[in-house]
Amino acid sequence: MSWRRWNYLLHRDIGFLCIGLTLIYAISGVAVNHIQQWNPSYSVERVETNIGPVVGNPADAATALMILARLGEPGKLESSYRPDRNSLQLFVEGRSITVDLPSGHVVHDRAIPRPVLREMNFLHLNHPKKAWTWFADLYAVALAFLAISGLFMLRRKTLRRGLVLTGIGVVIPVFFLILYL
Amino acid sequence: MRIFLVTFLLVAMLSPVTAFAKDFGNGVTLSEETAISSILDAPADYVGKKVKVSGLVIDVCSTRGCWIYLAGDRDFEKIRIKVTDGEIVFPMEARGKVAIVEGVVESMVLTREEVIKRRKHHAEEKGIDFDPASVTSGETVLRIRGLGASIDGV
Repeated sequence: MSWRRWNYLLHRDIGFLCIGLTLIYAISGVAVNHIQQWNPSYSVERVETNIGPVVGNPADAATALMILARLGEPGKLESSYRPDRNSLQLFVEGRSITVDLPSGHVVHDRAIPRPVLREMNFLHLNHPKKAWTWFADLYAVALAFLAISGLFMLRRKTLRRGLVLTGIGVVIPVFFLILYL
Repeated sequence: MRIFLVTFLLVAMLSPVTAFAKDFGNGVTLSEETAISSILDAPADYVGKKVKVSGLVIDVCSTRGCWIYLAGDRDFEKIRIKVTDGEIVFPMEARGKVAIVEGVVESMVLTREEVIKRRKHHAEEKGIDFDPASVTSGETVLRIRGLGASIDGV
């Protein structure tokens, strides 16, 4: 079998292997690019309400449970913190409930993981580290192979167009480097 | 071929998520723990030194997960743990969980303008109002530059 045939077969099969990861990196890449405007992994909901003045010892678990009862909060109380003398912060199943005790003003913060996107970002940003780092490196090598092997798949009638487009692809990042660096 | 594919998929799917979820960054290596109240009482003794602290996570950076606040061992006290963006990302689920953190204590002297800028940024992150007039002077901020952490239950 000729080297061109090998090049074609490897390009095709490694390309198939890379489809899943490329989609993950592409989608997550767009999401993470705009991290200044939004949290790509969570949507944070903030609800304010009033349950009336709270009387009782803030350090007492009974006071915390009374607040949850007034809120109609069915979740289990995990922990609590006193930011100052007049406030109590309760944690219920990953949510934060901050109560101003004299006024009864409540701020309920809830972070909801964005389905699928959170997992994609987890992988793309290499949060797992360790074994995933090596796998991601392997993927990067595979991408480099696809880019280079693609050049050797040019045929005579598409050679000129291929070289021009490849050149544009190299010039674009250089242009932005000159512009912003 | 089939065995290879099944093994490959299992390793790819299971190993990153389940095995390494609780440790962040370099993890925790120091054996001796320092009380947050000790650092707050005598910051000069700790600035520039590596410490291990623990406490309840009471807040997490909601955009990048690049900082957390740990509750102190005394009422009304807390300390901020700042990590390098992207190197460690704390999940929002860490709120309400106990974290053990290792890092270097830092002290930063901020001008009034710098305090306003920081608080404005924090208010935007939290979606709350902020009045720059409420800041009347600069301040010294004590924080820990986090190098590693371990959080149970996230």
